[in-house]
Amino acid sequence: MAWHKPTSLAQAMQSLRLTSTLTKPSSQASRTTLNTLRTRTYATEAESVPAAAAPEINFGAFSQKPARIIPSSPSYFSGSPRFIDHVLQLEALQAKHASLPTVATSEAPRMAWFKLAQFRDFVGEPVPMKKYKSLVKILQRLNRIQPDMVPVEVRDTLAAFLRPGNPYAVENVPRTVDENGRARGKGKRKESSAVVQLVEGEGEVLVNGKSLVEAFKRVHDRESALWALRCTQRLDKYNAWITVRGGGVTGQAEAITLALGRALLLHEPGLKPILRKAGAITVDARRVERKKPGHVKARKMPTWVKR
Amino acid sequence: MASSWCWNCLSRLRPTPRALLPPSATPRISSAPFHSTAVHYAQPAKKKGNSLTVVKHRQSTSLRRKKKKVADRGGRPPAVGERKALRKRIVLSNPNALEIEGMLELSPETMVDSRLRGTVLGLPVPMIDQLRAVQAFKPKQGWSIFRRPGTVLRRDTIEMGRLFEQISGEGDDAQKGKVVKKIVTGMKGSGKTVHLLQAMAMGFLKKWAVVTIPDARDLVSGDTAYAAIEGSNPVQYVQPSATSALLTRTVDANRELLASLKVSQNHPALKMLKPSSTLEDLAKLGFSDPAVSWKVFQALWAELTATAPAAGLEKDFQPRPPMLVAVDGLAHWMVESAYRSADYKPIHAHDLAFVNHFLSLLKDGDSLKNGGLLLYATSSSNNPNPLALKIALDRLAARQAGISDSSPEYPQPEAYSKADPRVLDLLQAAEKAASPLELQTLSGLTRDEARGFMEYFARSGLLREIINDQWVSEKWSLSGGGIIGELEKLGRRVRATASASK
Repeated sequence: MAWHKPTSLAQAMQSLRLTSTLTKPSSQASRTTLNTLRTRTYATEAESVPAAAAPEINFGAFSQKPARIIPSSPSYFSGSPRFIDHVLQLEALQAKHASLPTVATSEAPRMAWFKLAQFRDFVGEPVPMKKYKSLVKILQRLNRIQPDMVPVEVRDTLAAFLRPGNPYAVENVPRTVDENGRARGKGKRKESSAVVQLVEGEGEVLVNGKSLVEAFKRVHDRESALWALRCTQRLDKYNAWITVRGGGVTGQAEAITLALGRALLLHEPGLKPILRKAGAITVDARRVERKKPGHVKARKMPTWVKR
Repeated sequence: MASSWCWNCLSRLRPTPRALLPPSATPRISSAPFHSTAVHYAQPAKKKGNSLTVVKHRQSTSLRRKKKKVADRGGRPPAVGERKALRKRIVLSNPNALEIEGMLELSPETMVDSRLRGTVLGLPVPMIDQLRAVQAFKPKQGWSIFRRPGTVLRRDTIEMGRLFEQISGEGDDAQKGKVVKKIVTGMKGSGKTVHLLQAMAMGFLKKWAVVTIPDARDLVSGDTAYAAIEGSNPVQYVQPSATSALLTRTVDANRELLASLKVSQNHPALKMLKPSSTLEDLAKLGFSDPAVSWKVFQALWAELTATAPAAGLEKDFQPRPPMLVAVDGLAHWMVESAYRSADYKPIHAHDLAFVNHFLSLLKDGDSLKNGGLLLYATSSSNNPNPLALKIALDRLAARQAGISDSSPEYPQPEAYSKADPRVLDLLQAAEKAASPLELQTLSGLTRDEARGFMEYFARSGLLREIINDQWVSEKWSLSGGGIIGELEKLGRRVRATASASK
């Protein structure tokens, strides 16, 4: 389709109209003359508004646009710039303070560095395990600087890589027998959890306020519940007051074994090797294996059918 | 094939459209305007074929093997009652067990000797028949693993022995004619039934009259005949055959005693009784004829509790001995029985005259005029567990602990709980301070007693362990604090290797 070109006369008219609208606000006199001259305007014509003048150019604050934008970090174009920045910073620190005396690894203060997942969150980049390990090596080298000579910048930098709430700062209070001579031990097995209060006594046992016989009908369960006392031949030297919840009979009995072993350790820490060997303080962390789709149970497959 | 006629209006059903169903033999008729039901619902039956591809729904699709034929063992099943007889059989001796050197017997001297505490005393051989007659032995008490039946002399036994001495009018603090009423409770396996057995043995030793109900459940389980007593209000029921069985038991066990006692009261209901006959003859009237057994039982009871002869029968009157009444499984008497009244309502156990007779002994007053001992034991393995009895026993225990019934700690039935008021009333009267009814709770053996008991196992050749304090206290703890039934289980348990435990 051919483009319909306006005729030269129409072009002239158009240019005239444009100039008239441009010149319209220029002088009041001409406007009046035009208004008087023109009787009728086009409906599509916009109301004439005074055009704002362009602001003056301030040459003092003239922002010069560079030809291309240069990233602030030199490792911007690598896959993980922030990680590499950290590495470079640490390496620089290490090089700077290489001459400072160091202590053995075992004497360096124990630090809880970020775990890999936490570090990934920290830098916001998918850092591979191996690379993070190399970073941790630098951290450890910096941490080995003799504690009284650590520069402030090293200390501050290292602090940035610590897990929040430094777990090694919390000192575990060793449990002891309380003022009434009770040792408290907890144990779990399967779904059961047991709490044992062990006092010196004559071998009386109460499980959930009932006697041992009422709590455990099977002799085997009774024996396994009191196994910690039995294998150390302490059955007639302690009284146990036991609360056990959850799970089945066997699980409850074995939860008591563990709790009793731990409570006994508070009274007699020297029994630890015997109890360990007898399996009375070894935690059995096994739980029921989850069921899988396509299986009847955790591992069982449906019966094979020919067709 | 479905009929194409409608049986209600005898019109033809509308045939199904051709396109949906396979062509059928029925002719197509288009005029049956008020039916919309199709003639053929069912697909035509498929041809039977042995094709393997047919999927069987709602059947197991797993591999099926031929079932093994059960081996035919001699044909006939055991005769009627044979299995039960085998189940209820009581074996009191095991010739394979070792005989224990110097084993003492239960005797009036040994049963109160506290030096013998913890030893196992054999039951005197002539008494075993008597004990069998009163059904003192129960099937699963483990008598069959020893050479001869024996029981431990524990603290409760010695106390009971002293009580027997007192009531018989012997010993230091004799209280002849005293009545002691006890309800024996305790954990399962704590030796309640054997405690009753020991009481019976002591009763026989002391020449008491021993009356027992070996299983209270038998009277309320609806197994024996019953009949309403005419004119009684509220209606009471007698159980002639159960009464007759009791008379038989009593006579078998106390034959010597009953034969030595003459009738001393007037019994107008028993015309056939001669004035010179013995109590044995009297009781025999009952077990030959169940119809009069209830009257005979009442007469016998009156004779045994008589303190003085009736007029005209003073000749040959001998003072009656104290009585031992032992009931096992008391809780069954605290619920509704399995019997039904004429209007098919359950009969409460207290409405059975026979049961009521024994329960009324628990109430105040000297029910045993010549003194004696009432021992009513509960059972924990066969227990209907009535709420009211539990509360009543708790109250009894609270009483004994010195808690008055106005105190807030005094056990009360829970609000809106349906505790049987008859049961509460029965034991309420007995709760006064002066009442002789007490609650005896059997607990475990002490360590020393447990040691004696375990040594008995070892000396019988059942237990191959070195019995020392260490070992005994271990078993004591494992048995829940010396519960004797549990100790027995531990003692009889055969270990594969005796050295494996070390």
